[in-house]
Amino acid sequence: EVKAVFPHGLPCRFQQQIKTFNEACLMVRKPALELFTYLKSSNFAHPAVRYVIYGEKGTGKTMTLCHVVHHCTRQGWLVLHIPDAHLWVKNCKELMKSSYKEGRLDQPLQASVWLKNFKASNEHFLKEIKTQKTYVWGKQESTEEGRPLGEVVEQGLARTRNASDAVGVVLRELKQQCQRGSFRLLVAVDGVNALWGRTTLKREDKSPVSPEELTLVYNLRKLMMNNWNGGAIVTTLSQTGSLFKPSSAYLPQELLGKEGFDALDPFVPIPVPNYSPKEFESCYHYYLDCKWLQHEKGQCPAGMGHGGPGGGAGTRGGPTAEAAPLEELHSTVRIE
Amino acid sequence: MKLHAPPRTERMAVDQDWSSVYPTAAAFKPASVPLPIRMGYPVKRGVPPPKEGNLELIKIPNFLHLTPPAIKKHCAALKDFCTEWPSALDSDEKCEQHFPIEIETVDYVSAGTSIRNPKARVVTLRVKLSNLNLDDHAKKKLIKLVGERYCKDTDMLTITTDRCPLRRQNYDYSIHLLTVLYHESWKKEMWESEKTEEDMEEYTWENSCSQKNALDTLLRIKASENVSNVTKEELLASEVVKNYRNSVIALKNEGETENNMSQYKESVKKLLNIQALP
Repeated sequence: EVKAVFPHGLPCRFQQQIKTFNEACLMVRKPALELFTYLKSSNFAHPAVRYVIYGEKGTGKTMTLCHVVHHCTRQGWLVLHIPDAHLWVKNCKELMKSSYKEGRLDQPLQASVWLKNFKASNEHFLKEIKTQKTYVWGKQESTEEGRPLGEVVEQGLARTRNASDAVGVVLRELKQQCQRGSFRLLVAVDGVNALWGRTTLKREDKSPVSPEELTLVYNLRKLMMNNWNGGAIVTTLSQTGSLFKPSSAYLPQELLGKEGFDALDPFVPIPVPNYSPKEFESCYHYYLDCKWLQHEKGQCPAGMGHGGPGGGAGTRGGPTAEAAPLEELHSTVRIE
Repeated sequence: MKLHAPPRTERMAVDQDWSSVYPTAAAFKPASVPLPIRMGYPVKRGVPPPKEGNLELIKIPNFLHLTPPAIKKHCAALKDFCTEWPSALDSDEKCEQHFPIEIETVDYVSAGTSIRNPKARVVTLRVKLSNLNLDDHAKKKLIKLVGERYCKDTDMLTITTDRCPLRRQNYDYSIHLLTVLYHESWKKEMWESEKTEEDMEEYTWENSCSQKNALDTLLRIKASENVSNVTKEELLASEVVKNYRNSVIALKNEGETENNMSQYKESVKKLLNIQALP
């Protein structure tokens, strides 16, 4: 199930942990629970509410986002997960001029990668949702009205030239159809401050590219507006991949800039702090359970010899393993 | 090997008159200063070098000639040339109230053939803007005209003039500058009405993106609930919008703090009718 829900989007370290422990477990924390109550009690006739998760580096923003994504997938929402918006504004090998609009630039590689992952996570939705307009891709190729959205995605994957336009079509269709209420849409964007910053991309004549000239960013910005209803928008700010921002910046206004703040306003900010003492305890109890941490007074006499799967990090935990019991709030969620 | 006499420091009493050892500014003489000072970068596993033959101590300026007893003597000598301080001006506030403008000039004396010193023509004029009769627009325009010469923390405008050769001329010029600034800031030019959002010194919520967004969102919410005939003025006057407006202004003007962010969060939740934990 992990592969189906998260073809992309889990942080690198967490993926290594999944591989090591053979199970995907994350800690239930207050920010995520807060978001769940908001989502549950939100009125889907009202315009979509934007939530911005912010916090210092390494406090668990991406993990909170993934938790929310998993929760909504379990409840049957359609999840539009963009793992890292920073990947779309930097290190782009191929930039093509857009055939649809003058002056815009396409990114075929990034668009096709994203389409592939989107297809993997939302197969059954793509069969049900039908297009509402005819889209002409080239001289002979076109998608008629009423065909399932999966065909648009196939078209984008088959012809990388049209991949970015295919992404734009998908986003537009989902936004329009969500208002009818047949499904709920969760837009989850990690690193949303990339959409309003600067890019490191240059055109062939070395002139810099601003974000709105990229088709992908332009279409995503349209989705971030709250002029649609029937879903929610959950985003994270991230300094780690951001461009031209100091490494101590973590507050919304610093990372989003004036443009971004005005575009997202009014939003609900959700701060994610570092682990509290109890959370830290439950975290290392989990590691002890998985035999990842080796203990000086190890339980079994061979406790020094074999650590967990793959050999543990030899830290000496201070208090012994019969410390305070875990509270229910900090129980771990096992994702099979 | 020449036999040196013991340094003077060994014969110095503890309660000697220091101002006779260093009456004027002089280089550091290790034999005349009875302090065990070390200065310099230590070699590995060593200590800073001692004061004998220490070039670092000689290079730096020292104030051994300006100890408090020496200054007392200077003041006593200068007292004969001074007049009495007016008894009515016994506090700082009274001084500021009666004499808001402060002029600073420096006189230089040196041992030499000439009494002239080109640095003596500098005149510094200091005034607090709260003592000037300025309205909101005039104050903002004056601050923009004056630029770096205004300090926001102390509300002090400092004008330093030294472009004329004589002190009297510089003083007249600084007064003239102050007069011109005052009158110019009261005038309003035609092109000043084209002031854009980037030129504004502080954030005003009216006519901003934030207000537009908030009103749009609220109108859409009302439309979805089929409550029509809600005008913009009513929305603007409602409690939630006022709350939201205050929190956004605080965020933008004062920067972001934990307090500000939580206030903003609460106001947005109330605005969009999001219920917290049930």
